[in-house]
Amino acid sequence: MTELAENPLLEGLGPRRTPSPCALVIFGASGDLTRRKIFPALYSLARRRMLPERFAVVGVARRDWTDDEFRERMEHAVREFGRDDFDEGVWGWLAGATRYLSLDFTDEEGEDRLAAVLTELDVERGTRGNRVYYLATPPQAMPTVVEAVGKRRDTQGWTRLIIEKPFGHDLESARVLTELIGRHFTEEEVFRIDHYLGKETVQNMLALRFANGIFEPIWNRQFIDHVQITVAETLGIEGRAEYYEHAGAIRDIFQNHMLQLVALTAMEPPIDFTAESVRNEKVKVLKAIHTPGPKHVVRGQYGPGYVEGKEVPGYRQEEGVAPDSTTETYVAAKLFVDNWRWADTPFYVRTGKRLARRETTIAIQFQRAPHPPFEDAATEELKPNRLLVHVQPDEGVSLAIAAKVPGQGMRLRTVNMDFIYGGAFRTDLPEAYERLLLDAMLGDQTLFTRSDEVEEQWSIVDAIVAFWKRGRPSFPNYAAGTWGPAAAKELMRRDGREWLKH
Amino acid sequence: MSAAPVHAEEWVGEDVSVADVERALWQLRDASAEGTEGPDLRTSVMTHLAWVPAEWREAAVETLAGLRERHPSRGILLFPAPSAPDGIDAKVSVLAFPQRGGRRHIAAEVIQLTLRGRRATAPASIVTPLLVSDLPVFLRWRGELPFGSPELEQMVGVCDRLVVDSREWKDAAGAYRALESLFEQTAVSDIAWRCTSPWRRALAGLWPEIAEARELRVTGPSAEALLLVGWLRSRLERPVQLVHEDSAEVESAAVDGTAVSVPSDETVSSSDLLSAELDELSRDEIYEGAVRAASA
Repeated sequence: MTELAENPLLEGLGPRRTPSPCALVIFGASGDLTRRKIFPALYSLARRRMLPERFAVVGVARRDWTDDEFRERMEHAVREFGRDDFDEGVWGWLAGATRYLSLDFTDEEGEDRLAAVLTELDVERGTRGNRVYYLATPPQAMPTVVEAVGKRRDTQGWTRLIIEKPFGHDLESARVLTELIGRHFTEEEVFRIDHYLGKETVQNMLALRFANGIFEPIWNRQFIDHVQITVAETLGIEGRAEYYEHAGAIRDIFQNHMLQLVALTAMEPPIDFTAESVRNEKVKVLKAIHTPGPKHVVRGQYGPGYVEGKEVPGYRQEEGVAPDSTTETYVAAKLFVDNWRWADTPFYVRTGKRLARRETTIAIQFQRAPHPPFEDAATEELKPNRLLVHVQPDEGVSLAIAAKVPGQGMRLRTVNMDFIYGGAFRTDLPEAYERLLLDAMLGDQTLFTRSDEVEEQWSIVDAIVAFWKRGRPSFPNYAAGTWGPAAAKELMRRDGREWLKH
Repeated sequence: MSAAPVHAEEWVGEDVSVADVERALWQLRDASAEGTEGPDLRTSVMTHLAWVPAEWREAAVETLAGLRERHPSRGILLFPAPSAPDGIDAKVSVLAFPQRGGRRHIAAEVIQLTLRGRRATAPASIVTPLLVSDLPVFLRWRGELPFGSPELEQMVGVCDRLVVDSREWKDAAGAYRALESLFEQTAVSDIAWRCTSPWRRALAGLWPEIAEARELRVTGPSAEALLLVGWLRSRLERPVQLVHEDSAEVESAAVDGTAVSVPSDETVSSSDLLSAELDELSRDEIYEGAVRAASA
């Protein structure tokens, strides 16, 4: 803002979202995340000239690769997972900025080598001592890397630390990690990724609520009957048994993505769109969530079944999973946000693997019209108004309204008014990681989770896990390719409601 | 990004009425939806009008072809033919484009009207019934602006934003003086101005030294050179001399001997340039200031 005020020529040229020169260090560079998400995102940013001219990437992992081997692998990754056509020129620029360092995170000498390479790059690429450290490592490696990077942090430029989920495995471990990070980095330097927040459709929830005068006045307990949030996957655990056996659905999705979606749906309007204002409002929602009792939570695990016509094994038959595993692959819960806006309005949430279809939706179900002046027969096909936010796929928003069926007499049916992203804006949606990487380089924390948010999320999860420990579940309790256990249906049926059928 | 239509329905008529055109649109929309899952989605975000004198016809059709898939809209191309006998000829098309990752199609509507004889002098009365309700109306005026003519006055009254390309004008300096009179009637944007954007950004990088600029040297089209100097004069609030050498596109710019460069970008098509203008809705006061100062 200061620059704009001083330089009248910048007015009207639009914000330039190009970060200042920096080096991005990816710990865990041989992993899937780097291959599938981080490098394709970097390539897309480079293609749109959104990376700084003076930029470098250093991949760090144990694998004994050379610079060229790493570049070659990343080129394949960009070709396979990138959303853009492959451009030799763009790739040439990014590859030229890329280095690889083979080292063990626990190896002090190796960490010194990394520091030396970064200093070299400051001279060679002009990165000015500015560092973005991306921890794409397994959770158990995080403390070691944080400690190693923290001890050697360069004081010449700015430093940012991007941390992938999961941030801890319970409240206590999250606090320990926060404390460790706090020894070397300030909260303003820490960027905890929940990639759901980088999705355009999730951000559109804020636009939908706070830029449209028609919704906010009715966005409360007086007009909304209940909210349903679904994060459903058709995939199984895809070879991640080691991680998933410890995490389960509650730590993998519920603790982060699901509770973020609840927070964005339920939060009060922030006074502005700065990181602190938005995160303050989200924390208030998380604090207000009433810990659900055992009757309000359902867990499940998939057995064998069919997904898209293909026979798939049950969770216990997946490679690396214990044959008597009690890890949940499904969680449904009825949550209450105890505040003036939402008191007594249930938020039904469900997430699971190997469900009937892949979709993430937020459904706001409004109360029925108090006295429709039509005969019962005319309205039998009528559903209550429902605002459905499709996070993925078919990104968009639809509103179910009643309309008269053409013809004699008065018969009503529910029809959908659709806003489809791909229809109104004929442009590809950027990948979440593009937005988040760029925001981290720019120092914008709005779409990242703050330590107190993470701790509130873990408090809720810990309470649920505590009563799960008291009993042994009868798993598997749903077949792959279905909508989850019967108990989840019952959770809704008890309240005279039902999950959305799609 | 640009995709070919999945299918296209077309209707052609001579000596038609506006009602004929509306009826044709309905019928084509029904025909377009046959065999698909529900009707095609009409997610129009605007009505895009284009006033296209004969010499611009080919270029306008080509630009529109590159545009319609990006901006779901109703496009109305008006071809004035004032010396022909009175009447309207029409060609109406409904084009269905694939919805990314979806099962339904996105419909774009294109109406081409040849306004013969006196019909060419009353275009607003013809297009007004065809505008999509409650959506912004963009008017792309091809070639010279006939200031003071009834057709320009009427069409400016209909549109929310007038899009011109001052590189298409023979005497840009003279036209800028007249253009000022439209600023209070409608928002105006200029594709030539859009093209100066990387140069403006590069020149802004010369701050603070540029605050005392005395001379701008530009090798490029006259319109862009004038807009750049007008922009410097209005933003810096000081006289700046223009030294201009003509060329097909801006090749260089220098302030008091200090040259700036812009990254050599991939070729930007006319559809890309117009597409960028169609994303802007409000008045551009920086542009207006540049136009006033360019002609001062």
